Amino acid sequence: MTGGLLLQSILTGLTNGFVYGLVGLGLAAIFRGTRIVNAMQGDFSLIGGIAAVLLLEKLQWPLAAAMAAAVLLGALAGWLVELILVRPLRKRGGTEDSYLLLTLGIAFAVSALVLYFVGRDSHALPGIGGEGIIVVGDAAIRVHSVWLIAIGLAVMLLLRLFFTRTTVGLSMMAAAIDAEGAATTGIDVALMRTLTFVLGGLVGALAGVLVGPLVTVHYEMGLLLTLKGFAAAILGGLSNPMGAIVGGITLGLVESIAIVTVSSGYKDVIAMTILIIIMIVMPQGLLGRKLRRGG
Amino acid sequence: MTVKRAALIAIAVVLWACLPWLAPRYLIDLMVFAGIYTIAGLGVAFLLGQCGIVTLAQSVFYGIGAYSVAYFCAQKGLPSPVAVIAGVALSAVIATAVGWPVLRLSGYFLALATLALAIIGHVLFLEWDWLTGGTLGIGGIPHIDLFGLVLNSPQRYYLFVWPIAVALLWLHHNLVHSRNGLALRAMRDAPEAALVLAVDTHKLKVQMFVLSAMLGSLAGSLFAHYVTFVSVDSFAIDRAISFLLLAVLGGVYTVWGCVIGALFITIMPQWLSKLGDIHAFVFAAALIATVILLPEGFGGALQKWWRARATGRRTQS
Amino acid sequence: MTVGRLRRLGAAALVLLTTSYASGQQPSGAPIKIGAVLSLTGAGAGLGGPERNGILLAEKRINERGGIKGRPLKVIIEDDGSKPDIAKSKAEALIHGEKVVALLGPSLTASTGAVAGVTNSIKMPQLCMTGLGPAIESNYKSLFHMLPPQQLNARAMMEYIAKALKAKKLGVLHDSGYGQLVMTNIQSVHKEYGVEIVAAEKFEVAATDVSAQAAKVRAAQPDVVGVIATSPVPFRNARQVRITQPIVSAVGSSSYEYVKGMGEFADEIVFAEFIVAEDPLPHQKEFVEYFQKEKGTLPKTYDAAGWDAMHVLAQALDKAGPDAGGEAIAAAIRAPYRGVIAQYDFAAADMTGIGLESYTYSKLVKGRFTRLPFKAGK
Repeated sequence: MTGGLLLQSILTGLTNGFVYGLVGLGLAAIFRGTRIVNAMQGDFSLIGGIAAVLLLEKLQWPLAAAMAAAVLLGALAGWLVELILVRPLRKRGGTEDSYLLLTLGIAFAVSALVLYFVGRDSHALPGIGGEGIIVVGDAAIRVHSVWLIAIGLAVMLLLRLFFTRTTVGLSMMAAAIDAEGAATTGIDVALMRTLTFVLGGLVGALAGVLVGPLVTVHYEMGLLLTLKGFAAAILGGLSNPMGAIVGGITLGLVESIAIVTVSSGYKDVIAMTILIIIMIVMPQGLLGRKLRRGG
Repeated sequence: MTVKRAALIAIAVVLWACLPWLAPRYLIDLMVFAGIYTIAGLGVAFLLGQCGIVTLAQSVFYGIGAYSVAYFCAQKGLPSPVAVIAGVALSAVIATAVGWPVLRLSGYFLALATLALAIIGHVLFLEWDWLTGGTLGIGGIPHIDLFGLVLNSPQRYYLFVWPIAVALLWLHHNLVHSRNGLALRAMRDAPEAALVLAVDTHKLKVQMFVLSAMLGSLAGSLFAHYVTFVSVDSFAIDRAISFLLLAVLGGVYTVWGCVIGALFITIMPQWLSKLGDIHAFVFAAALIATVILLPEGFGGALQKWWRARATGRRTQS
Repeated sequence: MTVGRLRRLGAAALVLLTTSYASGQQPSGAPIKIGAVLSLTGAGAGLGGPERNGILLAEKRINERGGIKGRPLKVIIEDDGSKPDIAKSKAEALIHGEKVVALLGPSLTASTGAVAGVTNSIKMPQLCMTGLGPAIESNYKSLFHMLPPQQLNARAMMEYIAKALKAKKLGVLHDSGYGQLVMTNIQSVHKEYGVEIVAAEKFEVAATDVSAQAAKVRAAQPDVVGVIATSPVPFRNARQVRITQPIVSAVGSSSYEYVKGMGEFADEIVFAEFIVAEDPLPHQKEFVEYFQKEKGTLPKTYDAAGWDAMHVLAQALDKAGPDAGGEAIAAAIRAPYRGVIAQYDFAAADMTGIGLESYTYSKLVKGRFTRLPFKAGK
């Protein structure tokens, strides 16, 4: 194997890793604020991606405006999901399993609605910096991928600051960890939970507009992204805000290095086996803390 | 009360036996799938209900059962019971080997690990095409021959598969109410207490995982004999998700919940498909409504209603 | 071409000329029900969608021209979600619930295998939108294929690679579904063409980024690169890791949707396929013009497959009579047919009879398909 090939596999692994990580970040954020594993996180990305496509193609909006609007639409979707669907279930005494099933149902619904109204075609979304590439030695990376990585890192840091430094962020955490205690200190627990979903929708849609140029946007992309994002978030440890990104990068790198060193057919076997081993050896996740097993 | 109950059961059995002559053939076809999914879903449901284990790996064992029949019956010409038992035995061995390390995990880690197993299984089914036929699949699997009666129609298979499903549900009911069942629930609800009582929780979990895998494998074998064709598309992640879906939807704390869950996921989409392109959304909406209105699943809701009725009657008399 | 084949062709032409379904009368009798099981969602949706277009368009056209013996055709389409078990259930429902006289589809090889078991047991004619699948299918006497076997697709690619490009070293980037099927056959025929396979890298059907696989192909320094996938992603990634060699692809990858997804990289890619609607062959003109008039877009191979399947069936129904029963209708199908896609011979051993000479080669030049003069065959 040549050095160029290894470098290429690292660049590819990083790109894919940040894709998984961005979805995982939203998942982890919602988990931190509500203790719900959101099986429709990837569908926030679908909402963001398809909104950007429609704004660009049907209304001819400029790229930056379409992206911004798509991200805001994702936040709106998060707000609606919490208000109309998650909150009634909580009132009726939802269990951990029923939230999983509910969000899975919402994922099916979003995907079905996109299929019905937009169709089954894949849509290409232009990347930041077009299709341009940066050549590094004998390897190449898309300009857009570099932006994706930079934005992914920025989102990770902002989320960290948000949850540790701002009143709203701390209140969200408090509401999730001890709802009654938080309520006695004057925190509006219901509002905090809604805001958590708004945040999750925002991050998810951002992931969608960033992933769209790499994978093309289509109605079935949601569940696929959720599965990889879930793996990234759990692997990194749900309790640490940086976990999802670290987990995503690990998964992405293992996959792409498995391709160039072993076999492309067996890459998932290798990646998933390593994933299981890491979980058994490090029961707190890559960046987890003690006493918060499995999140 | 017991007379009434016996009468109810008798009526149900008669209705069930007459259904193939009353209902259209395609509905019986769906009922066959519902029976098969009940068996696989039962494995998922009791793992979740009795041990608190979320498994997404059932598609792997379902696939092993199906490929075992495809390989031994269609390729090697061996009799069906040999193939089914071989599949169940292989599934048990793999479930033990994999379950032993993996079941040390808990919560979302365990869910992710079973998801990883499902992905590994799917890739291996695809890659080992000398054994599985890969994307092309294996066709020409013989129908089950029951002492000269070939089970080659949905009606016959329906009458064959449901008694098996009901027998397994009954066995499961007995297990839940046995000493082991108590130990299981202790393990789920108070793991520390169970440890103090010298219950080897890890061993118990592995045993239950193996049992669940055997059910999945049996269901897969029944599937292969019915469809007479297997390909890797039937054993992907979405199949595992649908098994989990039917278990949770039906309610994991009641024995017959997964029957209702299985009927829901097989008949509902087919019935809704008459609505045209919007049917996928209507199905999702029905699923969401069910979850919000009946958070304990169909089984749980029915049980609650039944008990409320019973106490209501008692206070009246 | 043998004399026998020519004679059969002549007979087919005669049948075509004397059929009554071009009478122009409005059909009035009880509709003749035809079932179709297609992949409208899931991995095969890129195939099932166009197939549905072609089928519905043909239904409209045939009914406009008077239907079959005064009776209109009515197609009932069901979605199998790209799953073989669902395909089987849907076929059961169409056959025994709707009492259809024949079945079209499914779109995927695995689903075809599952449904063919059902149609074969009751001898119902089935015109599937796939090529020959597992060996067992050769025993099925009522199953017909509207598309060539994957081995022929592999040969059609190899013809161009070896004869037009004179390449010796081939690198392939393919997905694990359709791409795998074609690749298996490339493996079995490449030696006949004196071409060596220096790299064969695969990726899952819904892969997000396959640059690592593409880079591995590039590192093997092939003369030409084959990309076989039902997604634009590998084409883009191949060019992004600076694979500058010519790219040759198969019919399943040739779609306007993928070309749109390829963006500026939809250039210098050759497809071994069947229809270039921008420049149709004489026998394809009528279909292309009608399609464009009704849909406002141009058709591709899978639209044409749906169209052809309906016409083959209509002709057989006309010949045998709509109520003749499955066996008689299947017998009427078992003959040569001049389709939009190809010159079929449904009496052939592979139940399709498509030859290499039916292939058309197209090249993407700045996002547009252009016909190449190259012809495959002996």
